[in-house]
Amino acid sequence: MIAQNFAYAAPSNLAEALKLLADPGAKVLAGGMSLIPMMKLRLAAPETLVDLRRVPGLNSIREEGGRLRIGAMVTHYELESTPLVRAKCPLLAEAAANIGDVQVRNMGTLGGSVAHADPAADYPASLRALEATVTLASASGERTVAIADFLIDTFTTALEPGELVVEIGVPIEASGTGVSYKKCLQPASGFALVGVAARIAKTAGKITLARIGVTGLSGNSYRATGVERKLEGTTGADIASAAGGIADGIDANSDIHASADYRRHLARVYASRAITEALARAQ
Amino acid sequence: MKISGSYLMPFPQERTYSLLQDPEMLAQCMPGCEQLVKIADDIYQMKLKMALAAISGQFDGKISIADRIPPASFRLIVEGTGKIGFMKGNGLLNLSPRDNGTDVIYDGDVQVGGTMAAVGQRLIDTTARMMIKRFFDKLCEIAKG
Amino acid sequence: MATTIAKPESLIGKRIKRKEDPRLITGTATYTDDIQLPGMHHASILRSPYGAARIRGIDISKAVQHPGVVAVFTGADTKDVGPVPCGASLPGLRVPHHYILAIDRTYFAGHPVAVVVATDRYVARDAVDLIEVDWEPLAAVADPEKAIAPGAPAVHPEWPDNTAFTFHQENGEVDKVFAEAEVVVKQRITSQRLIPSPMEPRGVVADYKSGDKTMTIYSSSQIPHLMRNLVAQMLGIADNRLRVVAPEVGGGFGCKLNVYAEEALMGFISMRTGKPVKWIESRRENFLTTIHGRGHVDYFEIAARKDGTILGMKLKLIQDLGAYHQLLTPAIPTLSVLMMPGIYDFKNIRADIVGAFTNCVPTDAYRGAGRPEATHGIERMVDMLAAELKMDPAEIRLKNFVPNEAFPYATATGLTYDSGNYAEPLKKALGIVDYRKLRADQAKARAEGRLMGIGISTYGEICAMGPSPATPAGGWESASVRIEPSGKVTVMTGIKPQGQGEETTFAQIAADELGLSIDDITVLHGDTMVVQYGIGTFGSRATAIGGTALYLALQDLKAKIKKFGGMLLNSEDVSFGGGECVCNKSGKTVALSQIAGASYRAMKLPPNTDPGLVATNFWEPPNFTFPFGAHIAVTEVDRDTGAVQITRYVAVDDCGKIINPMIVTGQVHGGVVQGMGQALFEHGIYDENAQLISGEFMDYTIPKATMVPWIETDHTVTPSPVNPLGVKGVGEAGTIGASPAIVNSVVDALSPLGVKHLDMPLSPESIWKVLQGGRA
Repeated sequence: MIAQNFAYAAPSNLAEALKLLADPGAKVLAGGMSLIPMMKLRLAAPETLVDLRRVPGLNSIREEGGRLRIGAMVTHYELESTPLVRAKCPLLAEAAANIGDVQVRNMGTLGGSVAHADPAADYPASLRALEATVTLASASGERTVAIADFLIDTFTTALEPGELVVEIGVPIEASGTGVSYKKCLQPASGFALVGVAARIAKTAGKITLARIGVTGLSGNSYRATGVERKLEGTTGADIASAAGGIADGIDANSDIHASADYRRHLARVYASRAITEALARAQ
Repeated sequence: MKISGSYLMPFPQERTYSLLQDPEMLAQCMPGCEQLVKIADDIYQMKLKMALAAISGQFDGKISIADRIPPASFRLIVEGTGKIGFMKGNGLLNLSPRDNGTDVIYDGDVQVGGTMAAVGQRLIDTTARMMIKRFFDKLCEIAKG
Repeated sequence: MATTIAKPESLIGKRIKRKEDPRLITGTATYTDDIQLPGMHHASILRSPYGAARIRGIDISKAVQHPGVVAVFTGADTKDVGPVPCGASLPGLRVPHHYILAIDRTYFAGHPVAVVVATDRYVARDAVDLIEVDWEPLAAVADPEKAIAPGAPAVHPEWPDNTAFTFHQENGEVDKVFAEAEVVVKQRITSQRLIPSPMEPRGVVADYKSGDKTMTIYSSSQIPHLMRNLVAQMLGIADNRLRVVAPEVGGGFGCKLNVYAEEALMGFISMRTGKPVKWIESRRENFLTTIHGRGHVDYFEIAARKDGTILGMKLKLIQDLGAYHQLLTPAIPTLSVLMMPGIYDFKNIRADIVGAFTNCVPTDAYRGAGRPEATHGIERMVDMLAAELKMDPAEIRLKNFVPNEAFPYATATGLTYDSGNYAEPLKKALGIVDYRKLRADQAKARAEGRLMGIGISTYGEICAMGPSPATPAGGWESASVRIEPSGKVTVMTGIKPQGQGEETTFAQIAADELGLSIDDITVLHGDTMVVQYGIGTFGSRATAIGGTALYLALQDLKAKIKKFGGMLLNSEDVSFGGGECVCNKSGKTVALSQIAGASYRAMKLPPNTDPGLVATNFWEPPNFTFPFGAHIAVTEVDRDTGAVQITRYVAVDDCGKIINPMIVTGQVHGGVVQGMGQALFEHGIYDENAQLISGEFMDYTIPKATMVPWIETDHTVTPSPVNPLGVKGVGEAGTIGASPAIVNSVVDALSPLGVKHLDMPLSPESIWKVLQGGRA
């Protein structure tokens, strides 16, 4: 468990960080909860680690233009515990609280997790349900992409070489929207076998908005739009039937912890639980 | 670990069959393939650089083609060893014509050993399927010109 | 003037905080990796990535040239070092020669092949990647049943049947009782491979001084003296020139009751390079190369009368040995056979063991060592019998227990159970859970469609390993007590604690006997140059045997104290207590500190008395001890997901007399959690190519604090007549009791669906599949 030699840089501003990251042998250190274990096993051997913890502005959380703008270096613990996030985007706070263990939540960051794009990470379910945006910076400027366009596949994102995730944007939750994140965790790693995030808004007893995000089930997280359509416009009386379609058309993962069939089943169970809770929380 | 699935290639069966065995196409489309040299009939030596998330590794390997029944099926065997472990994939590819192309149905197993096997159990299946998909996507993209 | 001596309160039975904890919780303890020696090199080991492979060639040239590399050694260099030892002997046992580095073939993934020695550990590790091995992967076999089936790849080519030994034991009229039995229940029961996972992995520092041909080896070990003897033989040096120090040991659970290749390998390196060398096992190496536990496939049959009376039991046991015998590998399944009757009164047994070689890391002693497997099997079979006869599982147990008047009780397997009151813990546990009400709650839960289960296990175990005739290297233990000139007391014990807290319990014993404060006592262990000799800590033996040796040494010492006290008081009628001698006539006193000082100054000696206050005792126990207990687990299964929740856990253990209840509770808690780990989570999985695919904590689930329910503990106390302390041992009890209680509970929960048996671990998916299919 001894990593190869590597250089360490802790730039004090974004421009310097981007300059360092132009080197193809450089890798961002944004908490290191996935990267460091892989380096210790020598599965990863970056030449330079560019630690972003000193870059100003990357750890801010602010409300702006009807959205929460969360810096990439905000830790899971900060998301879980910051009153602004808990009040304005409770789903993200709930997802953060479900990640790993206390040590991981103290070190790991939102931007690090999103850029890593682990197919079983907790955030993507919520970020998809929230229709979040990801702001990327490079030497040539900034661009903002929808989460659905950012998370391309297993460990594969829209990040171009030399580009960095700097901010995640999520909507301020309308009052009365009910949210829930339900996760079946793999007890060894704490990763999600399946995680389902639900956002539900009701007007006059009818569901006016349903957003369902799923993680862990397949190689990429996704929004279960079929389930959303089945819920919207109804009273939510038949959750089981709507949730039953959560895994339709999905090529489910299979490993020593859960077969594809069991994962699909868990997705239906956890979808049902998340939707039920979100609906109960919706006013 | 068993792995199976299918991919619809938008080409007639004969063309699909030959594309899938064209060493130049294989070299271009195998994710991470840096070099492919024929060492015997149906056997090619390969250098592969795998890069996935932060994981990276060099592999020396071999691709062999066997059990040919043109244009219906053949077997593809891919082996590689490197410092982070070794892998061996052995799959039977069955081709069946469809209206809009050819369905390639693969069925086989993947063995992974060494450090990779120990730490990546939850990712082996996901990753293998993603690599297969990338391979087919790239193949179709190039073949379409 | 006469003084009234208040009899000090006994420390035995007191919840005294552990003396070892301040250094452990402030990070000031010295573990093997904390040892730094001048000029020390670091070693890193190249290991086989394959389950089985031929080594066609090794090219070390690039590694040797790497800056900072001191030396690289392969099997060709180390082939004359003695083999990794197997201390167990069985008739006809096949023992493969276990070279410390592979020669031309590797037998399991993780098998050491070459070692790099360098100026620092980073360089050493880098250079390992520069060694080029020309591998020829070979067919491997990981499943013990497949290994002994015809046509399997041969683990060792010279023994194509992969059978290391067979072992048969029989008592009574087995065929007759099975033929005449009114009911026979059969079941295949597995105990999966477990990976011990101590917080501190193994580690070795070796330091050879060529000038005086002496060696010091620091190793995270449970058995420093035995290691000294064995490593001295492997390296061909005299045992009195090898010092083994086991510094702080961060958990062992049996996996450090061993001598591994690395101890001799580091010794070899230090002799060759003339410098000290350190190797610290990585967690990855710990998974791959430190022994695993369990690995049983058992075929049980139980015969009984309709009224539930057990008549006999048959067992065919297939033990997954791995590729080699480590120190006690082949002996472990024989412990399962010894404990096969459990605590039930029947005399007809037949057991057949097949020891199967596989291309896996060897199995060996892991907390419980053979007894958890046996108890799991017996307790499952008794539950299955109860289900077959529609009897209550508590009732069938109460009916079959060895009765109190039968002790000492001779078992069908040749043991003599020392003392017991087997119904008592069960009755107590049933009372704690309010069993009748609990069954009523269960009926209500079932009516609501919930899957609630109640599981009982009543276990017995064989502890205080053991009388010497039953133990390969001697089963006694030693203690030496030295009262220093100041009156402070130094205890040197041959046991080697790894978290069990004997620095405290032994200090309690010594302080109590001498009437001193616990702070006056220092307990030393784990250094062959400090401790007279010893066997070590394993098999729940430390207090029962080591504590007894200490107790007896203290008795000798007290007699001597009285002699010096009498001399100082000019009296022949003295008594000793409360840390002073008192003249029974005059009431005059003299403190132990004065007596001690006088004993060393030796200006005047009592008749026939040597100077000083030192006593040593080597105590050979006349028998094992046999603790017992009853555990009850209440569980609920989630119908939707198959997940098991333990809603209540009660452990009533009888470990004889209790010295420190806090430490005993801690041992029970830890043990129960490890048993829970086996029942629900842990699984060392090798794939069909003998790759360990649960080879990291990302994939191997050990129970974490958040996954563990509240554990309610209680005790009954049945003193052991085997030793004067009346103690039985408690280190392994929790582990032994827990897995059958939990599995019985989950089977009970699912019994309305026709489920009769489930194999461990009870993963949610395995239960979900049963829920889908309706029965197992």
